[in-house]
Amino acid sequence: MLLLTPVRTLGSFAVPLVLAVLGVRRGRDEDPWWLLVVVAGAALAVVFGVVSWAVTRYRFTDEQVQLRSGVLSRRVTTAPLDRVRSVDIEAPPLHRVLGLAKVKVGTGVDATRLELDGVSAAQATDLRTYLLARSRVAGGDGEGAPAPVDAPGRGGTSYLGPAQPETELARIDWGWLRYAPFSLSSLVVVAGVFGVLAQFGDELPIDQIDVAQDAWRWVVAQALLALVGAVVLVVVVGWVVVSTVTYVLTWWNLRVVREGRGNLRITRGLLTTHSQTVERAKVRGALMGEPFLLRLVRGAELSAIATGVGTGGRTRVLPPAPRSVVVQVGHELLEEHGPLTMAMVGHGPRARRRIHVRHQWGTLLVTGALAVPTYLLQDLWVLGRLPDWGPPGLLVVLGLVNALVAESAWRNLGHGLTDRHLVVQTGTFMRTREVLERAGIIGWRIEQGFFQRRLGLADLMATTAAGSEVLTAPDIPLDLAVQLAGRATPGMLDDFLV
Amino acid sequence: MEVEGMPPARLREPAHRVSPRAVRYWTVNALLGNVLAWAVMFVIAWFLPEGRWWSTTLVWLFVVAMLANVVEVVVEPVVRYRRTRWEVRDGRVFVQTGWLSRDQRIAPLSRVQTVDTHRGAVMRLYRLANITVTTASAAGPITIPCLDTDLAEAVTAELARITGQTRGDAT
Repeated sequence: MLLLTPVRTLGSFAVPLVLAVLGVRRGRDEDPWWLLVVVAGAALAVVFGVVSWAVTRYRFTDEQVQLRSGVLSRRVTTAPLDRVRSVDIEAPPLHRVLGLAKVKVGTGVDATRLELDGVSAAQATDLRTYLLARSRVAGGDGEGAPAPVDAPGRGGTSYLGPAQPETELARIDWGWLRYAPFSLSSLVVVAGVFGVLAQFGDELPIDQIDVAQDAWRWVVAQALLALVGAVVLVVVVGWVVVSTVTYVLTWWNLRVVREGRGNLRITRGLLTTHSQTVERAKVRGALMGEPFLLRLVRGAELSAIATGVGTGGRTRVLPPAPRSVVVQVGHELLEEHGPLTMAMVGHGPRARRRIHVRHQWGTLLVTGALAVPTYLLQDLWVLGRLPDWGPPGLLVVLGLVNALVAESAWRNLGHGLTDRHLVVQTGTFMRTREVLERAGIIGWRIEQGFFQRRLGLADLMATTAAGSEVLTAPDIPLDLAVQLAGRATPGMLDDFLV
Repeated sequence: MEVEGMPPARLREPAHRVSPRAVRYWTVNALLGNVLAWAVMFVIAWFLPEGRWWSTTLVWLFVVAMLANVVEVVVEPVVRYRRTRWEVRDGRVFVQTGWLSRDQRIAPLSRVQTVDTHRGAVMRLYRLANITVTTASAAGPITIPCLDTDLAEAVTAELARITGQTRGDAT
């Protein structure tokens, strides 16, 4: 820790320092006074690091873990020990060189997590064991009398409880690497690259084609064709390379383990290592995502839905992997067989009508926006000079596309109920099946918009503390919604029914 | 659309209406908001050049907006009063709101984290209060709007009492 902050501060100072030094050197070559600047900068960084190290402290009381930090503005962050739900250990490359780690404590009370930066790696593991065991005891939801608890580092191991063997739920299989390019998460990076290329595109002499001679025009056309081909090739290859490299960096050495006491632990990472542990009772469900491309090759992704694992409440468990593996691991995670494979109950013809009509509003709006300038305003920029068949053509094409999208949305839409879980499937390009533990449902919302009321449809929302805090079954027939809610949480709707 | 062996189920409306003074409060609230909008529209319409196609269109748009405002002031509060209902029963809150749309929310008090009472400046003129019940889910706060102040206090005390009996962290 004493080393960490100066090195990091130096890192953030490095670019301006180097720039300053280069600028100065270009000015006068013979004067070595710029060395002073570098030394002063380094000294400043060290002082800053030492001070920040000296004022940052954490401590454990019987009820809380406290973190004090800040030089000018002091800050005290606390997390009640009985509310500790998840502990993540993260080690970026610099930390690993120094044998350190970051510990993030999630409490399920706040979205923000308490972060202890720069504890030693061994201490981090001790802390995790202590925090999770302590939460169990203090929370009172453990069975039997509270066991005596020792603080970490005092050698006591009584908080560990009876040791049971760990079970491994999943381990990285490098055969899965073939699924990497089919995940859209790396598309963002490639889109960025494409943006950069587009900048170069502006420099191309396309404007001058008009004035060129015929022969020259032919040559340029061929060159353009070759150029477009090359760009496409570069994008595709770039996509494959970037997504594969990201996959390897993120999922290196992945292990998903069910610990002796039932807590879930996920370890992964090549350069930055992650180790996330979530209390068993706070794993409230799972989310299986099947993006369009991945669906084509029978792949899927898996996340766990939990309380107190930071914003979003989702922890990625498996990378893009074969669907069969995702289903198997997902079921072990949920400790129930079926939610990810069971057939969904569809939402019926009225839902289909509603979804189609909703999608076609967009078509009408866009077509209308184009029709007004085309037929009424002849002098409005290029929009006024569009051919007369433009708007009807757009109406047909856009209408067809939206009809396809709506149809696939309706086909994917559905819900199901098992002994322990509520299941909802939604999505068009990205099909997601979200599974929520029925015991984790803390309330219901039944929303009906104006048009939904006329069709007897509703959006049924199960509110929960875990994940995105709500699971929505959209456009479900009202009677089906009430039945589903009543069966999922027996007793909650009693006396409110007719 | 029915599941076998299950009788067709429907939710009934919650038992209680809100305070009748809520109608006047909603009317005044809508008026306050609209007066400013009307003033702005009148000023713009005053200075619009005559005989242009776009200024005529704009004036017609203003007329439509004003009609919508009139509906908001005259019709909406009455309909809203009829449709807004609430009930607390056997440790559960059940609230229904909305006038064109409908939003029904149910939460067991064992999962409730806080109970708040809120009275805005205009609400105080009409002796009204909102009660908001929050759960551990950001999607789940339940607001019982426009209760009589005395009733609101009694309900809040009762809700807080029931909530206080629960152990655990309500997640």
